[in-house]
Amino acid sequence: MTVKKTKPSMINQQVGWCGGCGHGIIQRLIAECCEELGLAEKTVQVVDIACAYWSIDTLNCDGIAGPHGRCAAVATGIKKMRPDANVYIHAGDGCSYVIGLSETCYAAQRNVPITMIVVNNGIFGMTGGQMNLATTLVGDRTVSSKNGRDANIAGEPFDFLNIISNYDIAYAARGALYDPKHINETKKMIKKGFENQRDNKGFSIIEILSPCPTNWKMTPVQAMEKIKNENEKVFPLKGYVDKGGEN
Amino acid sequence: MSENFALMKGNEAIAESALRAGCRFYAGYPITPQSEILEYMSDHMAERGGVFIQGESEIASISMLWGAAACGARVMTSSSGPGYDLKQEGISYLSSYNLPAVIVDVMRYGVGDGEITEGQDSYWIATRGGGHGDSRQIVLTPASVQECADLTCLAFDLAEKYRTVVIILSDGGISQMIEKVVLPEAKEHDMNKFDWAIKSYKKPEEPKVKVTNLDRSMDYAEYDQMMRTKFKTMHENEQRWEEFMTEDAEFILVAYGISSRVCKSAVRLARKERLKLGLLRPVTVWPFPAKAFEKLTEQVKGLATVEMSLSAQMAQDVLLASKHRFPVYSYLTSKYVATPKGIVEYCWRALEGKEEELEVY
Repeated sequence: MTVKKTKPSMINQQVGWCGGCGHGIIQRLIAECCEELGLAEKTVQVVDIACAYWSIDTLNCDGIAGPHGRCAAVATGIKKMRPDANVYIHAGDGCSYVIGLSETCYAAQRNVPITMIVVNNGIFGMTGGQMNLATTLVGDRTVSSKNGRDANIAGEPFDFLNIISNYDIAYAARGALYDPKHINETKKMIKKGFENQRDNKGFSIIEILSPCPTNWKMTPVQAMEKIKNENEKVFPLKGYVDKGGEN
Repeated sequence: MSENFALMKGNEAIAESALRAGCRFYAGYPITPQSEILEYMSDHMAERGGVFIQGESEIASISMLWGAAACGARVMTSSSGPGYDLKQEGISYLSSYNLPAVIVDVMRYGVGDGEITEGQDSYWIATRGGGHGDSRQIVLTPASVQECADLTCLAFDLAEKYRTVVIILSDGGISQMIEKVVLPEAKEHDMNKFDWAIKSYKKPEEPKVKVTNLDRSMDYAEYDQMMRTKFKTMHENEQRWEEFMTEDAEFILVAYGISSRVCKSAVRLARKERLKLGLLRPVTVWPFPAKAFEKLTEQVKGLATVEMSLSAQMAQDVLLASKHRFPVYSYLTSKYVATPKGIVEYCWRALEGKEEELEVY
């Protein structure tokens, strides 16, 4: 039996990401979920101006790129004025947890019914691979931590989903992309996030451990192995909050 | 008439007029002396079916505004002093994609946190292109509660007409003053009428909107030309000012906002002392009313700005607008509102050559 996998029709252009980058997989999962739920025509994308920005030309829907880090606030403004739209955020861990930590927390605190998809690749990709205060593992070498991240200088990375679990939100979960099984599980999480928004259940955040072979200076396969063997230990793959129940 | 007549603070007049102009999204953060705008919006926005958000910061508030403005809604935020600093990121982004928005800056005195009292500290930052620069915004300066109402309505119309950010540059004096005001008639705004706005539903074959920094539906050269043409058109068409006893004036004061009110008293006082003083009051400070200065003849012996700031800020624009044809002086009263007596004494000293002309540094 042959299975023909067709490209979601929402994707209408080639993407610009580096080879082996996880953003492209995430982009495809987003498009598949929107189409499978019949939400494609109501979708509005909010992207950060870092690597996620590449997706703005890729999807056939209205889109907006806000100031770096302000995605959750921008999405709040859109959802308030266009409550019938399916508003999702595609942003990195620098936007969501570093410069925009406050905006992310307060979109959650207001429990705005939007779907926030955060790409945790442990690095500032667009600017050339600097350390990410929230997600770079201790010991990981970056162009701004050449001898490896030193916790005495830069502190420890933190699990944001642990923090956000204390908020009254609909959903928080973390997925990964290093094999088909995990890609499928991640897709279910993204879908749940869109269903929660459709059913007006509140704020959903899905964090995805994603490889950045270019800035990690690894092959795509080595990068996937690193996520499985190292990053997943600090950032466990699991559901944190699920108040949405059966959608 | 009667239902539009009210006695209120300048800040309240701005908020009520914004609602009547169709503003349906406000996000802001408390800071003195603009907080009444935020409080009024929290109280009355829901009655109009709009959205009020008390933001977690100035930056988040104006970022929410960026999202709401991109949906085609009439939107407003307000701040003051150090809070206005934080609005610059959003002003730059709103300007880059040409989104209409109204930003109120209720000026106070001082660098850093300064003081919470009236002042005119922000002239430069309001008029020199928001954010990290290279853009232009229309800047309106109310000098009465009535003008707070009138200019707020005008601000929304100009913002939509030119797809631009419009700044209402008020000050602590005008904002806290209580006066009678005739409020504008309420009107509704249709946020679905724009082809550039984000919508809730679009068919696959419909063109999509991509709201980004710069308008990427065109190339850089085309974008630059479009922006330059817009700035030039606004500069040509939107200069506004008031002339007060300038026809026979030998010496002319230039002032806006709270300072301009005292200047009117100063003009009357000076004329009792046989000094033919006049007042030229810019209502727009960008575009600066250069046309008002073109008309001045050699009968004028000098110009003096009256500003509540540490530096002679508007005076530089006066120098440019008058093309160095007249000696320009600045009477700077910083934290304190000028007195008519103080202004007139300064003018006499300037005419007697006892005050230094403005030096730009």
